[in-house]
Formats: sequence, C-alpha cells, structure tokens
Amino acid sequence: MSNENDPKPDGGTASHPEQDVTEFEDHPLEWDEPENNNLAPDERASVSQSAEKDDDPKLVTGQAKYTADYEKKFPDLAHAAVVRSDVPHGRVANIDTNDAEEMDGVHAVLTPWSDETPDAKYTSAGQSYPEPSPWDMNVLNEHVRYIGDPVAAIAADDAETARAAADAIEVEYEENDYVLDPEEAYSEDAPQIFGDDEVENKIVGHDYSRNRMSQIEGEIGDVDGAVDRDDVHVHETEWETIRQSHAQIEKHTTLAYTDEDDRHVLVTSTQVPNHTRRQLAHLFDIPIRDIRVSKPRVGGGFGGKQAMVVEPIPLALALAADRPVIYEATREEEFAGMRSRHPMKVRARTAVTDDGSIEAIDLYALSNTGAYGSHGMTVAGNVGSKPMPLYSKVPNARFKADIVHTNTPQTGAMRGYGAPQGTLALEGHLDEVARDLDLDPIEFRKRHYMEVGDLDEIAGMMGGEGAERRIRSCGLDECIERGMDAIGWGDIDQPDEEHRHRGIGMALSAQGTGVAGDELGAAQLMMNEDGSFHLHVGGVDIGTGADTAFIQIAAEVLGCPETDIVIKSSDTDVTPFDYGAYASSTTYISGMAVKKAAEDAKERILHWGSKLLEEPEANLETGDGEVYSEETGESVSLEEIGYEAAYGHDEREHILGKGTHCTEESPPPFAAQFADVTVDEETGEFEVNKLVVAVDCGVAINPGMAEGQVEGANHMSYEMAVSEGITFDDDGRSEVTSFGDYDWPTASETPTIESILVETHEPTGPFGAKSVAEVPTNTVPPALSNAIRETVGVRITDMPITPEKIRAALEDDE
Amino acid sequence: MQFSLTVNGESLDIEAAPDDDLASVLRREGYTGVKCGCDGGICGASKVLIEGSAEMACGKAVQEADGATIQTIEGIGSQDELHPIQQAFVDHFAVQCGFCIPGMIVQTKELLEETPDPTEAEVREAIDDNLCRCTGYQKPVEAILDAAARMNGDGAVATDGGTPSAPNACEGTERNGETNE
Ligand code: FES
Ligand code: FES
Repeated sequence: MSNENDPKPDGGTASHPEQDVTEFEDHPLEWDEPENNNLAPDERASVSQSAEKDDDPKLVTGQAKYTADYEKKFPDLAHAAVVRSDVPHGRVANIDTNDAEEMDGVHAVLTPWSDETPDAKYTSAGQSYPEPSPWDMNVLNEHVRYIGDPVAAIAADDAETARAAADAIEVEYEENDYVLDPEEAYSEDAPQIFGDDEVENKIVGHDYSRNRMSQIEGEIGDVDGAVDRDDVHVHETEWETIRQSHAQIEKHTTLAYTDEDDRHVLVTSTQVPNHTRRQLAHLFDIPIRDIRVSKPRVGGGFGGKQAMVVEPIPLALALAADRPVIYEATREEEFAGMRSRHPMKVRARTAVTDDGSIEAIDLYALSNTGAYGSHGMTVAGNVGSKPMPLYSKVPNARFKADIVHTNTPQTGAMRGYGAPQGTLALEGHLDEVARDLDLDPIEFRKRHYMEVGDLDEIAGMMGGEGAERRIRSCGLDECIERGMDAIGWGDIDQPDEEHRHRGIGMALSAQGTGVAGDELGAAQLMMNEDGSFHLHVGGVDIGTGADTAFIQIAAEVLGCPETDIVIKSSDTDVTPFDYGAYASSTTYISGMAVKKAAEDAKERILHWGSKLLEEPEANLETGDGEVYSEETGESVSLEEIGYEAAYGHDEREHILGKGTHCTEESPPPFAAQFADVTVDEETGEFEVNKLVVAVDCGVAINPGMAEGQVEGANHMSYEMAVSEGITFDDDGRSEVTSFGDYDWPTASETPTIESILVETHEPTGPFGAKSVAEVPTNTVPPALSNAIRETVGVRITDMPITPEKIRAALEDDE
Repeated sequence: MQFSLTVNGESLDIEAAPDDDLASVLRREGYTGVKCGCDGGICGASKVLIEGSAEMACGKAVQEADGATIQTIEGIGSQDELHPIQQAFVDHFAVQCGFCIPGMIVQTKELLEETPDPTEAEVREAIDDNLCRCTGYQKPVEAILDAAARMNGDGAVATDGGTPSAPNACEGTERNGETNE
C-alpha cells in the first residue's frame, strides 16, 4: 500500500502547489442550516446550560472505573512488563530469555521472533485509513532506534515478578551510530535511521538517505515576488519549541483477554477505539469483527492516547499466556517510551509595506519526529495550515516543512497538533514587525484577519480536497475586546521598585474543528417504554465531558430531562462507528451524529404523539418530557408514548433513531490571549500575574465544561512557555524519568487563568457549536514572549522563557 | 503477614508482605478510588487520610500503617449524598478526567479541617503536590474556596443539587479577600 499518490487532507499533507482552488460554489456563503439548529438563548432547554457532568458523582466518590480498576474481575490476570532498548540505535544481536522463562510465576516471554509477536509493520498513529503516517515500526523491534524502543515483553503473576523477569532478560546489541539533533540528522553523512526497505506506506517527500520522512510545501499567490518588491520590508525571525509530554495522570493501560466466544477483548485507555481495532486486526491478522475494544473512564488523553502505544503488547501476551493480561506503563516509560509533542524550529518571514499591509507570509518548519514517523507529516502540515489562515486577507502565503528522524523517542499527536509551534512563530513574529514599523499590534492584526464571509484559501493551500473553507462564524473582535478589558490593557500599575517592570503581551490563534472531509461519527438512540432513552455513541469521552455534551444535545432535541438519557459510548461491539477523540472533532462531528439520531427518534415520537393526541404531527412539539400540541395545549408524556409504542394494540414499534455525520467543513474557533507579566531587569526573574484567554467556540454546549477545557489547555500552553519539557543527555537517554524531573507548573506556580467564552453561531455545528479544547493550547508562548518584549525590550524566541535567557538578553542589549 | 487497618470505619484484616505499598493493598481490597499516577510518591493521586492527615498511600509500606485509621475517597460522601467538598467540585466543573480528583478531595478535606477559611494562596499551596493535567487548577481552586465557604455555613447549601454557574465560583475568592494577582 502506498500513500504517496493519495495524500489525506489531514489539515495539509501534500505538495500540490499547482492544484486548482475548489470552486466558489463548493463553499457557498449561505449555509443551508435547519431551522431547529439555531436556537435563541431563551429557547434552549439543555444546550448552553451548565448541566452537571454526567459521570461526576462517580468520579468525585472514587467509584468510576478506569482500565486498571477492572483487575479484580480477572482472578487469573497476568501483568506485563516490557524490555526496552538501552541503546539509541542498533540491532538486537542476541537475546537470552532463559532466566526469565524459568522464573516462578512467569507465563509468557515474547521477543521479536516469537510466534505470537506480530511481524507486520504498522504505525501507532491511530489515524483514519489509509493512515497518513508511515508503517515503520514493529510491536517488538529487532532494529532499535531510540532508548526505550520495545524489544521484549513478559507476562507474569504480578507486576513485580514481570519486572524482575524483564530485568533478567539479557540483550546484546550491535550498536549503530546515532544522531539526536534534527539539523545534523538532516545531512547526507548522518547515520541513516531507516533502510529504504524498512518502511511501508511511505509518505510524500520522504528521503530516508537523509532521515527525512516527509517534506511538504504549499503556496498561494507568489511569495517570492512579494518579497522582492521594493516597497516592502522583509522581516525574518526564528523560533524553537520544547518536547512536551502529554503527562496524562493515568498512564497508558490496557487489559486484554479472549472471551468465551473466542473474541479478543481489550479494555483500554484509548482515544480511538475503532482505529485501534482496525490496527490490531492488521497486526494480528484477526478479522475486525473478532476484536472488541472497549473504553472505560480515561484519565486524560491530549493526543497521547490517540496512539495505539501499548495495546498490541498485552494482546500478544494474552494469546501467548492464554490468560488475561494487563499492561500498565510505568511513569518512566511514559516519558521515554510513549509519545510527545514534536519539537520544532520554525522560521517566519513576512513582506510588509510601510503602512503595515502584509503582502506575504512565509513559514518554514523543521520538525523532529523522533525515531518513528507517526503524525510526522500531518502535525508539521498543521504548523502552517492552522495559524496562517487566521490572516486570510494576506494575498501571498507559503508553508514548507521538513520532517526528520532522530534517535529520540517517538513523537505523536498532541493537543494543538502543530498549531502551538506555528502560532508561536507567527504571533511572535507579527509582534516584532508591528514594533519595528511602529504599528499597534492589535490594529495591525485586525487589518488582516478573517471575517465572516471570507473564503479561506490558505487552509487549502497544502492540498487535500475541501480544505478551503468559507468562514461563517468569527468572534475575534469580541474576543479581543473582552480580553483587553479583563487584562486591563493600557491600564496597569507599574511596580514601585525601579528595576521591576510590568507589561502585557497578546497573541491570537485559530484552530479547526475536525479534519475537513476526513471524519465520521455515528449514534443510535433507543427509547424505553418508560420514556427514557439509551444513547449509544461512538464518540469518545476521555475526560472532556463529551458524554455529557452528547446527552445535552439529545435532550435538547427530545425535550426530555438529561437524567432520562443513559449513555453508552465507545465500545466497538455495542456502539456505532466513530473516528475517535482527536482533531477537536468530538462535539462537532459525533455531537451532530447524536443530534441526527435524536431527530430521527423524535420523528417517530411525534408519530405516536399524533396518534395519541389525535392531532397532526405538524402541530406537535416535544418539551419537558412531553409531546404537546401548540394548537390545543393538550399533551402526552414520553412515558405514555413509550408504553403505547411497545405494547399498543393495533401497531407496535421500538422507537429507534440513528444518525451518522461527516462533513467537508472545519470551521475555526478563535482565541485571543493576554499575558500580564512583571519582570525584574536586574535578575531576569519574571512573574506572570495573570493569563486571560477569550475563546470563540460558537455556542458552548456546556459553558462550565467549555471553560474547563479552555483553562486546562491554557495551562498546557503556559507549560510550553516556561518549562523545559523532555530533555536528553548526549547518549539519547531521557533526563526525565519521573514527575519529579518533569518541571511543569504546579498549582502554586500557575497564575490565575481567566477564561472568557465569546458566543457566535456556527451554522454547520450542532446548535451552533464548534471546537474549544485545542485553540487555547496555542497562545501562551507568543503572548508571554511578546509581554517580555513589551516589558523589558528583549525578545526570547526559543522556549522555554527563563530568567537566565532574559538576563542574558538584557546583558547583550547593554 | 497479617495487618489490621480501619478503613472508612470498617476493620480489615489483611494478608500482605510488610513492604507492600499501602496504595496497592487498598486497591486490592477494592478501594480503587485510590489512584496511582506515578511510580510512587509524587503525583498525589493516591492520597488517603491516615489518622486524619493526607498522605500518598503509594509511598507508605503497609506495615507502617498497621493499626491505623484510614479514610479513602470511598469514605467521603456517596453518590447520593456528596460531601460538600465533592459537591463544590461538581458545581464548579472542577472535574475533567477525574483521575487526580480523589487525591485532590482527600487533600482538601485535610486542608479545610486545619484551615477552614484558607486564602487562594493557601489552597494552591495545599494542592501543590496534587498533579492535574486537565484543569489548569483554576476550577479546583475555585471549588475548594467555595467548599470552605459552604462548610463554614456562609455559602450555598451544599447538597441542594443546585449548580451555580462558574461566575458564582468567584464569590468564594472575593469573600476570602485575595486573588492571585
Ligand atoms: S501514585 Fe501515589 S503519589 Fe503518584
Ligand atoms: S481532572 Fe484529569 S488529571 Fe485532574
């Protein structure tokens, strides 16, 4: 299988500079929105109310079950441990498992050569099919490419025995040269990490002789022409981002067993049950129908659990040991053996006229994808295709990226998905340009940013059909206005001490909502005779509250209390298909599927209401748990309808609704970020006094939950601005092996984060909703860099921002 | 070896190796509300109250806890009757994935018993070793301040099922006369 000629439109994946822009007609200004989708605030019964999070009573009392909590159900459960490579690059020359196999309580030992170990290549990316990521890895690897690459696996009676057995396995490596720095890796004479025959499904622009897994480029207009004009100033800046860990508090955990019907069941902490099932079917050559992936409560994902990181290992062990096996990664493995955010260098270049008109934006990214290529191309594509469209009025735009391998752990999808890297570069750069040309940074942006009605061609410049989009909702003006108000823009007191200064920086951001043209969600609704409902939905709640949002959407349509809807989500045997929780798609795509399912059921409910009330359906509406007639005021309860439908005399029916949803649309949510900082010019020490972030997410289905998403994302963004991330020693060994080494802002180190929701109406989303949870991940690094620049006049471009860097820059300045 | 513990008011006789960690022992006994998020002693998810003080159960050998009175999250309120702290967490949308929440609530219980009217800074300090990846700490801090107000009797009735929207969350902050600025 090859992807090369069939790039996926995952937010910009292929080089198609010559591609025709999709016809205007394909993105009509008027969206054919059903009337019931646009409710005035006083017409909303469930939507945009802060309904209690459905699973909260269980969560706050410790009753909710996460994967590891199922252990007790399996008395003969074995525990897994994994032997991971100790060298950054090499081949397993010899592996001695004798001692481990002879240990008491050991049930299975797998090496790359064991029968139960799948030998197919795959990608762990957890994307749609065919994956826009190369198939470049094995479950257990003979050719190891980073310290932490899995080599062997053990199942034993308990975790301690499994660990002891893992330690008893002796692996000899034939070591190869290795390379850790992406710039070095991207040269002709660097050690080559992949042989050309070691990768299937190669991605556009690959050149493994230089460790390049992909190269992508897209352009609209003529950037070089604009840059060469003599009425423009050309500015160039360069930025660098950290390798951030997802650091979900629940580690990757999977429990695998074969049930009484010979079907293979995985209870697993995943964001993508259906993609996981498909990838496992490929690896193990088992029909999709014989695999069941069930997601219990998940202790956070953030993209880290979009990857199928651990699932194949316990499944292989369960097959080998013929008993259930649980694998819970250690925290050390989380940092060295799982996934992380792609660290990047991003160069920004603009051509701007004297009076501040941006004629061209040119962005280039060098992305370090680590040892394997999961999400390498698509994350890099989003460095350009998420932030750049914000300035859709700029006539010439170009983005190019090289994605290279190094002998460092794998990277992958992470909240923001390339947009944080691109947003730092673009928003930091524009701030610098505005200063240089003596322009107001906000007015300068306003002249160029999106408005309702714009056809956004920049989003489509990387190719992929349907990636251009019509902007139908945009609350940027209000985000800025309310954000300025909340932070006290232009109205802050300076500290008394002369060496301390206070200032504010800002940045804007746009994201997407789902992957345009590459999503699918589905839902089914079943009515019980007492008027309650079972809502089955493929969408995946990883702690975001998606289940609650689904319930609210269904309740709004059905006119019933939320408590009358019992939700079951994300179990591939029971719930309809879904691409999973990523790309900010859940509320928008799966939520719309829920809405359609509820509308489908409502049609039948109205049919029965009409029968019982002896009134035409057209006169009837649902609300307050009833079907009522707008004409007569008569009503019949959903319970009466449920009983009549199930047990009626002349006609019977199980009231069912189904909905599936996909779309070519991916409307951007927007954020305006403000950071208020005090800097000591003598020491470089700084204190962030407050963060304000105003977000336009369309209609927030649940404002309380949406605010929580905004604040959590902003904290993650703050971490990218001030923390080191995962670092390595010269041998390629992670210097972070525990939370103790991972220096991220704790509660007392986190400033107050004020979240503001700006309501707009996105006609393509359920009840006007678009995404919320990613866009605030993008904005703190540029806002803080801009704030420091404003306050003490120095520019920090490589993250994290530290007192040492500020002091050094101040000294340089003198 | 045999150990005896009093857990949420029940006495338990437990067979365990002396250095088995208390978190694993409690989880084995069915108290799976005790969460494990790190390789021990850092994330705070496994906090329980041992003789009233919040400690990370994973960092304690069961023999050190022999004879102790322990309260886990399961012993603080029930789904039908949430403790005011739990209700405040629910009302303030302070819970996302929920994995850190048992430890956070256990820690809050200790805090509010010792410091019934904490400042925001004191709250942040108290939960400084309760790592949360989801919330950015903003809503948990608001919830804890409001829980203090509720428990002091000057806030909303904790179990009225009411869900004050987030702006009300700030009342607690103002009442305590301190912000993080
Ligand atoms: S598991 Fe006990 S503190 Fe992390
Ligand atoms: S709510 Fe998810 S870690 Fe705190």
